Amino acid sequence: MEKPVVVYEPFRAGLPPMREYLRSLWSRRTFIAAFSRSELREQNFDSLFGQLWLVLNPLLLSGVYFLLIDVIGGKSDSSRFAHLTASLFLFYLIANSLTGGVKAITSGQRLILNTSFPRIMLPISAAIVALFRFLPTLVVYIVIHVLLGLPFSWQMLWALPIIVIAIVLSLGLAILISCINVYFRDISSMLPYLTRSLLYLSPILYEAAHMSHRIKKFEVANPIFYLLDSWSRVMVHGEAPTSKGLLTSSIWALGIFVVGTYFFLSRERDFAVRL
Amino acid sequence: MISLSDFNHDHSQHSVAVSVKNLGLTYTTSIDRKPTLKARLKTLGRGKKHTRIVRALVDINVDVHYGTVLGIIGSNGAGKSSLMRVISGIVPPTQGRVEVYGSVSTLLALGVGFNPSMTGRDNVYLGGLAAGMSREEIDKNFEAIAAFSELGDAIDTPMRTYSSGMFARLAFSVAAVVEPDILIIDEALSTGDAKFKEKSLNRIKELRTSDRALILVSHALATIEDICNEVIWLDHGKLMARGNPAEVIAAYREFVDARKSASSDEDV
Ligand SMILES: Nc1ncnc2c1ncn2[C@@H]1O[C@H](COP(=O)(O)OP(=O)(O)OP(=O)(O)O)[C@@H](O)[C@H]1O
Ligand SMILES: [Mg+2]
Repeated sequence: MEKPVVVYEPFRAGLPPMREYLRSLWSRRTFIAAFSRSELREQNFDSLFGQLWLVLNPLLLSGVYFLLIDVIGGKSDSSRFAHLTASLFLFYLIANSLTGGVKAITSGQRLILNTSFPRIMLPISAAIVALFRFLPTLVVYIVIHVLLGLPFSWQMLWALPIIVIAIVLSLGLAILISCINVYFRDISSMLPYLTRSLLYLSPILYEAAHMSHRIKKFEVANPIFYLLDSWSRVMVHGEAPTSKGLLTSSIWALGIFVVGTYFFLSRERDFAVRL
Repeated sequence: MISLSDFNHDHSQHSVAVSVKNLGLTYTTSIDRKPTLKARLKTLGRGKKHTRIVRALVDINVDVHYGTVLGIIGSNGAGKSSLMRVISGIVPPTQGRVEVYGSVSTLLALGVGFNPSMTGRDNVYLGGLAAGMSREEIDKNFEAIAAFSELGDAIDTPMRTYSSGMFARLAFSVAAVVEPDILIIDEALSTGDAKFKEKSLNRIKELRTSDRALILVSHALATIEDICNEVIWLDHGKLMARGNPAEVIAAYREFVDARKSASSDEDV
């Protein structure tokens, strides 16, 4: 028998054979790319106005918040606006992978019931879509940074590892939430409240440096707090991130990625009968 | 890895492609609504589960050998599609074991992976990649796919503008260029006009070679009798008969007629 043999046996919770799984995922990489591209196309990413809207939406939001803070707080400067914009853009990467990921499995029903492929592909491509929506906003931020006359420094290269951490986190979140939504379908309707709370609990409308220590203690529990804090330090102020910030955000990102992937992989063979 | 039971059949000169042993499949679905956190919290204390259990397949034993074309017949809800899903690894079995020797390609539903807002051309790639082809393979076969579908210029218009027959044509054309060891087709022939149906039937006939196994699910009994050399009949998840196409189909027809006349008697 030179033909490969595949055996299907009753489902038990547990990881599939990892090496084969990764191999089949790797062999599907072009499908992941094409699938993500078609999703982006669906969201009019390829048209100029589609891209403009992507940038305009968080930009308008940061404009509104800036006005609000200006009116309420009274004191504001140009770095305040830069902080708001940079943080919102990164926050949207996380939020978009959550909103894209939550429906990744449940809306892929037709695909899942009729073809066999590594299901993790679907939340991965949701995260890829979120990433591709994030990249143009990065360019816009640089332009704003220049226009506001904020300084550039070599420390800004720290942005690269921070983006890597953010990508791992958004992958992990997309995978985790797509899996949870199979079992609890109301998560998708709760999600807007969840992201909204996350927005207010994170250093976006305010800067972490201005928080009282009593409250800041609890922020270790917010997966994106130190990520956003490090991001703002690096991108807006051109400073190096704190090692505590880098460490905490990496641990959160890796933790969510590992837990999410474990849950997903050990349950995914069960998805088809639950859709 | 050939077990003794495999030699009981006429096809013992060929090797096994798919071996299904004591297969059982049970779907557990919630009756009223989708599973939600709210519903789970509500029923937490009571421990009562609102689930319906469907035994879609009960103790099925089948061997499919290379070189055969196996037809699967049975009334609606008999478990035909469920059996195909287990063999292609989409749904894990509840009991038993399925062994598959070779690469499988499935055509369980037409046009899975297609995105209606994209053009036919883009969807050939999307659908082909979803079916497990590589980009190079699709590049190589693109002309053949387009020609087979006979869509002409329509291939460059978005698929949402297609009629359902055009959709089916393109979907079948993509699936038809895949050359797997084991090909599973579930009712994919029932769409398209008479001419295209004929053409796709011919394509399936071309695919009948001694080093390939075809599994065909259809309600078109005449077609099954024409192209298959072995037929199994499923009813309510059970294997009712298997063997020579003419005999099994005759038995199935008799069974259906008997049920029909019994129920029409009741009406009187
Ligand atoms: N995803 C699912 N969840 C729950 N029950 C299902 C699911 N899919 C199929 N069933 C049930 O399993 C049984 C067999 O269904 P299946 O689709 O295999 O029938 P079939 O023989 O293909 O019928 P048809 O000729 O109509 O295509 C049916 O009773 C059906 O209700
Ligand atoms: Mg069916």
